[in-house]
Amino acid sequence: MSVGPVTMARAASPLHDRPTFRRLEQIDPYLLLATLLLVAYGLVIAYSTSFEDRTTTDPLQSVAKAVVFAVLGLGLMAAVAYFDYAWFGVLAPLLYLLTIGLLILVLVIGHNILGGQRWVTIAGQKFQVSEFAKVLMIVVLAKWFADRHDRIQSPLVLLGALVLLIPPWALVYRQPDLGTSLVFVAIFFGMAFIAGARLWQLASLVAIGIASFPLVWSFLQGYQRARLTAFLDPYADPQGAGWNIIQSLIAIGSGQAMGKGLTAGTQSPLGYLPIAESDFVFAGLAEDLGFVGALILFALFAVLLVAALRIAVRARDPFGNYVAGGVVAMLAFQIVVNVGMAMSLMPVTGIPLPFISHGGSSLLSICLALGMLQSVAMRRDQNRLRT
Amino acid sequence: MATDPRAFVRTRRVVAIGLVVVVLLGMLTVRLWDLQVTNGARYRALADDNRILRLPVTADRGIILDRTGKILVRNIPGFAVSIVPVDLPRIREIDVAGRLGVLVGREGQEILELIAAQRVRNPYEPVKVSTKPIAREVALLLAERAEAYPGVRIDAESIRQYLDGPLYSPLMGYVGPIRPDELELKRDAGYLPTDDVGRTGLEWEYERYLRGTYGWREVERDAAQREIKTLAETPPAPGGNLKLTVDDRLQRIIAAELQAGVDKDAFTQGVGVAINPQNGEILAMVSTPAYDNNVFIRGVTTAEMKAFNSDDRHPLVNKAVGEIYPPGSTFKMVTGLAALTDGTANRNTQVNVTSNSFSISGTSFFDWRAHGLLDFVNGFAHSSDIYFYSLAGGSPMSGVRGVGPDAIAKYAHMLGFGQRTGIDLPGEANGIMPDPAWKQEVFGEPWSIGNTYHEAIGQGFVAVTPLQLVNAYAAVANGGTVYVPHLLKEVDDLLGNPLLVKPPEVARKLEMKPEDLRLIRESARRVVTVGHAYMPNAKLPIAGKTGTAEFGPSGGRDSAGRNLLGFHNWFVSFVPKADNTDPTAEIAMVLFTFNSSKSLCDSCLNPAVAMTQRIYETYLLGAPAGDKKASLP
Repeated sequence: MSVGPVTMARAASPLHDRPTFRRLEQIDPYLLLATLLLVAYGLVIAYSTSFEDRTTTDPLQSVAKAVVFAVLGLGLMAAVAYFDYAWFGVLAPLLYLLTIGLLILVLVIGHNILGGQRWVTIAGQKFQVSEFAKVLMIVVLAKWFADRHDRIQSPLVLLGALVLLIPPWALVYRQPDLGTSLVFVAIFFGMAFIAGARLWQLASLVAIGIASFPLVWSFLQGYQRARLTAFLDPYADPQGAGWNIIQSLIAIGSGQAMGKGLTAGTQSPLGYLPIAESDFVFAGLAEDLGFVGALILFALFAVLLVAALRIAVRARDPFGNYVAGGVVAMLAFQIVVNVGMAMSLMPVTGIPLPFISHGGSSLLSICLALGMLQSVAMRRDQNRLRT
Repeated sequence: MATDPRAFVRTRRVVAIGLVVVVLLGMLTVRLWDLQVTNGARYRALADDNRILRLPVTADRGIILDRTGKILVRNIPGFAVSIVPVDLPRIREIDVAGRLGVLVGREGQEILELIAAQRVRNPYEPVKVSTKPIAREVALLLAERAEAYPGVRIDAESIRQYLDGPLYSPLMGYVGPIRPDELELKRDAGYLPTDDVGRTGLEWEYERYLRGTYGWREVERDAAQREIKTLAETPPAPGGNLKLTVDDRLQRIIAAELQAGVDKDAFTQGVGVAINPQNGEILAMVSTPAYDNNVFIRGVTTAEMKAFNSDDRHPLVNKAVGEIYPPGSTFKMVTGLAALTDGTANRNTQVNVTSNSFSISGTSFFDWRAHGLLDFVNGFAHSSDIYFYSLAGGSPMSGVRGVGPDAIAKYAHMLGFGQRTGIDLPGEANGIMPDPAWKQEVFGEPWSIGNTYHEAIGQGFVAVTPLQLVNAYAAVANGGTVYVPHLLKEVDDLLGNPLLVKPPEVARKLEMKPEDLRLIRESARRVVTVGHAYMPNAKLPIAGKTGTAEFGPSGGRDSAGRNLLGFHNWFVSFVPKADNTDPTAEIAMVLFTFNSSKSLCDSCLNPAVAMTQRIYETYLLGAPAGDKKASLP
């Protein structure tokens, strides 16, 4: 079977497929099930942490808000899946400019929360732009690699992707949001790897990164350095930089095998875990639901990620393949770093745990990404159908 | 260009990513297992430690009273500084320790070491860094500037106050901060690192009654250390109050007499112990010079400690129980009782002291004068050395067969010499009660007749504590019962109801004939009425025995013109109910004056005799106060 250039051109055009749900039977059931269960899990944890938070006067309100965002997120996912993901590829340059513009906007008018300018208010709702920027960068990089997938092994392609990455990365880093800027790096390496970049080129980049670590160190803010060293010896400053880590370990460990029960944790209500709803949400989860609850979470994540990888393998075109790879890289990195940080295996960086950390922006951006994945899944056999 | 349209799918790389994800999640699971299952119980405890603070509620230490209920030792409020290491960031340690050191008067390095040690033991538990009560202004400063002193805690605490420091310090001792090694042993008993414990004296002896039982308050606290609620509470039980057998009035009378003598340089140190022969209760125990035990409460300085240790009068030692001296002629009671009990002498045994000395194989043995013909009563009353040489070892001036050193040692042990009396005080000395076997063992030499003679009059090797001596005389005074002397009368609760009453404890009964004990009592009375310790205008039927022990070089004078040869003087006495020989005495007393004879004169009277008369008359008859200041001979 040979495929002519014309066919290729048509296949790459988004216009060949009108928005439709007619391929509903092609939806990936594992990804969907894992997504729904994780969203539900997130709501359960939102309920627990809200009621454990004694500073909140109306815990029901935060739960209601979480429910609203869950519904919005699932709606967004369905809407995105409804469209051919190729549209994102077509719009990639615009999305790129939009990302940079929004990130600049954050720096100019953003709210200052917890030492970082990360939020803008849109329609009375605070949005964390960098969360969406991650997903948009996945699209941009996927488009870049997909358009050059036949010469993917050229160092110029890799360097070009790097050049694309640097402006949004730098803007996020400037906020400052060290955690999200690291997610950008993970997305870049993950997608370059999936796309087939030569390993020695990637290794060289990693080597350069390691070699320049002293330089990076000198640019780090004082609190960032303190977090990095605190991870090495939390007890050096148990009341300062080491506090969160120590209290997180205590929360997790004290959950034991079966957990203390929902809303029955003690570390968060008494203020020992200061950011128990976002960065250290896993500690609260493990305290409430124990080893069993955490293991269920890990299992759901594993199902989600493996399903996403299967979608990547079965994608109809490189763009879909790379988008799926990028989403896996993003989610896996966030999961491992967030959980590893809570268990003192990694330095403390403000990276949310997908689905579980509170925050509409995080959930919506993940739903956006998973909508794209379902769109890829639903259109995986288009080449076969059309030829 | 017939490429595979699906060449863009790098399956192996996708699988690799999948494997990496699974491996990483697996590693997280292993770590989670370690935290939650392997170490879960420990972290659960830590979470509770976080949340639940078990605050000890200290119990007031019991106070100490004399037998009439007069307060001798009490507690007053003060402040202490401690550090909770977990609340003190390591990077600020040096700075905080340095500044705190200045405020509490310690080296910063010392404080750092305390913190470091406590971090290892239990960083959640406070460690006390102030060794002495801190001033109110310092406490306020620390409380106001809490943010500059992270982890520093100010606690109100009870401070021990000894109302008459030196008067009672030999008995009371003092309390001091618990040492880490003691804490390890006593932690199970509820001791805290911030606790004081009795270091010596009655404070040490009766720590178990005085301390009380701490209570606990379990509070739930949040991260800002605010107490959210009290979960449980156990009130403390205050320590028991010690009511002593000591009569403060007698204690003061004796102390005033001894102090007057020291002030006059009639002697350099003095000991007075009064006891009730009928039950072993110590009525007074004075050892002078003593020390102010309040010094140890506020924190003794190096200079003060050096001064205490270099003072050859040993102010830190309770000389009534902790030092031993030759008993001198007071020991003639033992020699006499040994000879009487053994049957080698009786009240009619005569020695004709025709000269003030005799010689045996070239060595001369002296008496203080040529007494002439003496029977037992007069030999004792006039304290004839030759009379008792004869009873102990025989002599050219008598046909008496000496009772011998082994018998003397046997009855001396029966009377309590050469062993602890068992009084309720730490640091009691055994004394030395030699016999031939002892000499052979210690010196590798056989016993000589000279040893027997010296022992007969309380010189030589024999050495006693003042308490042993008075306790032996008390046994004679009560007709033959050796009691274990004791200072504790009862332990009372807050309302004064006795929780525990200390019963008299009999150490042993003297295996001696009542008439022999009566003879000693009669002889001792004669000592006062006509003999060696004649008391003019005596208002009480005092009986007793003098003793003089020489020490130092036998001739020459020091740079101040005083004789180098010194005397220790003893007078051990008892007062029967009536002027007869019945064993009814309810008070016996020993006075000991160390280095009494600064200006040697043969006719100088033993200063303890006149003091004894004044003490008894003041205490038992309430003599006019003016008499107390009567001059010493």
